[in-house]
Amino acid sequence: MRYLLAVLFMYSSLFAMTNFEVAKKSEDVMSGFKDSTSKMQMTLVNAAGQKKIRTMKMKVLEGEDEDKSLMEFITPADVKGTKFLSYEHVDKDDDQWLYLPALKRVKRIASKNKSGAFMGSEFSYEDLSAFNVKKYNYEEGEATAKNSLYTIVSQPTSKYSGYTKLISFIDAKTFLVQKIEYYDRKKELLKVAVFKDYQHFGDVVRIGQITMSNVQNDKTTILVWSEQKVKTGLRSKDFHKRYLKK
Amino acid sequence: MIHLLLPLLVAVSAFAEIEVSGHLDLDSQFYLTAPDSKHKNSFTAQQSLEFNYTNDELTLYSKLYAQEDYYDFVSADQKNERTFARLDELYMKYDFDDDAIQAGKSIKFWGALELRNIVDGFNPQDLRSDLLSVDKLGVWNASYSHYTESGELSLIVKLYEQNQEMAAYPYVYYFFPSFVSYDSKLKTQDADTRPSVYLTYSGSTDTEYALDYMFIYENGYDSQRYFTADKPQNLSPLSPTYGNPTVFESNAYIVNKFMTYNTLVLGATLIKLEALYAKVDEDINVGDYSHVAFGVEHTLENFYESAALGLIAEYYRYDTYESDKYSDIELFETMQNDLFVGLRYSLNNTEDSSVVGGVVTDFEYDEQVYYMKFESRFAESYKIGVDYYYIEPSTSHLTAYALLGQHQRVAVNVAYHF
Repeated sequence: MRYLLAVLFMYSSLFAMTNFEVAKKSEDVMSGFKDSTSKMQMTLVNAAGQKKIRTMKMKVLEGEDEDKSLMEFITPADVKGTKFLSYEHVDKDDDQWLYLPALKRVKRIASKNKSGAFMGSEFSYEDLSAFNVKKYNYEEGEATAKNSLYTIVSQPTSKYSGYTKLISFIDAKTFLVQKIEYYDRKKELLKVAVFKDYQHFGDVVRIGQITMSNVQNDKTTILVWSEQKVKTGLRSKDFHKRYLKK
Repeated sequence: MIHLLLPLLVAVSAFAEIEVSGHLDLDSQFYLTAPDSKHKNSFTAQQSLEFNYTNDELTLYSKLYAQEDYYDFVSADQKNERTFARLDELYMKYDFDDDAIQAGKSIKFWGALELRNIVDGFNPQDLRSDLLSVDKLGVWNASYSHYTESGELSLIVKLYEQNQEMAAYPYVYYFFPSFVSYDSKLKTQDADTRPSVYLTYSGSTDTEYALDYMFIYENGYDSQRYFTADKPQNLSPLSPTYGNPTVFESNAYIVNKFMTYNTLVLGATLIKLEALYAKVDEDINVGDYSHVAFGVEHTLENFYESAALGLIAEYYRYDTYESDKYSDIELFETMQNDLFVGLRYSLNNTEDSSVVGGVVTDFEYDEQVYYMKFESRFAESYKIGVDYYYIEPSTSHLTAYALLGQHQRVAVNVAYHF
């Protein structure tokens, strides 16, 4: 029996993963889509349960570390045609521009602080940026799985993040994120995001729905992706500033 | 060109899906302080209609605008002359891989600053509109653009200089005296079909502190205009004919003009510069001049709950270089030595509510402008805008604001968007 336990321990040590490795594996599982196009519907639910709906079109180009994205607002009608172009960077601030069709104006955005609310929703700009393990520090040691979920604790490296800690719950088999708890600068639980409806495109996995609940103000935002396509052949030049005005 | 593009748009609409959008506005303005002889309010119904067809390469776009002024509708002798329909844009654009061509009537935006964009002179302002807002006239032009990895090189040809209508005297923003009428026929140095040519180069740096830059060279008619009177003697209080009917005409002259606008990103702060230098081609009234403006905008995210607070400061400087010609006062330039300090409070709520306000101080002629604007969405398809302006004009110089007189207004705009 002692021999058997020793062998089991040896094997489990051999296959044990650190928190960072689980996070990296989770990132890898969601990578490889090269580019994607989709529609997004954002449902804003206030504390009284009243709903407001926003719709957008989205294009994303996957980079080694730095994704590019172009988002166009479809509704509400007064912001129709407004576009948001973002070049994400790991080692410096993102490049971001906003196109305001009523003025025909392309406006540079200062992106240092990404904790601001996105379109009045419970998502912040940093919640919507592509996940990259380099943006976080992870606790040392082995990740532990309970009920088939790894619980990974991480801290954002950016001092401009709106969070002090994230606790991610990752499926131990698929390495897909199921839930993230976000802790604010006062180290109190602020929001909980639940991920579901993962969609498979061959060897590529894309998220289908995220429900973000703010536990401090009882508001919820549900983000649903539809008409998703991957590997459509988009190029870097399809994210040139010229397409803001098109 | 309109005969070519309109049938094209109609033909495309028969075979393809054209997006239609627009808004219907009711605009009410109340002038708490204004000259006795002018209207104390203004009510305008406005409609904007846009048609857009886009596929991978081709874009067809048209924008129509119309407005009805209350006093034009009800009054026979106190008309504001502010009722009209206007074709703002009608153009075709074809995108190649690294190039694009565009032809038709269009509106462009150039600039980086918040209060006023001194380089944004491609389209003239509609002088029938509220002069405290921006309302551009479309311009017939053709352009070719070549795109580099992060930049754009463009050649734009403006095909002719158009006349600018002006509102009539009882309207509060007609700022000439009552005995001065305005002839909308533009007087041009050369033929009004003499093209104005613009060469532009813009790009963004991929550096730690990113910079967006734009350089523009123009050879053609200047965006700045000046007025001349048919009977100048009637304008002098010392003349026995003072106050007799006089007609003002607008004049356009040719320049070689260099312009630039830039935005530097330093963390959460944007540093902005707009500058221009105009070399005037031998006009008897206007000499060379420059206009420079420098701005800083810093944003504090989550200032209160999810609201963001933007702090804005901008300084404007205008100089003329020939003392025997028109100065900034005769040219009605209001931003010649002015500091703007303002705030933008964005609530980041579901209604996209925001409050913008500030103070403009003129150091040269001791003038101040105070303003506050609130904007929000309601019932999903409606927007409301409320603003307050207070203008304290110069008491020592006959500036544009002095001609307008001490001015205080409250305005409410309700718009339905579809």
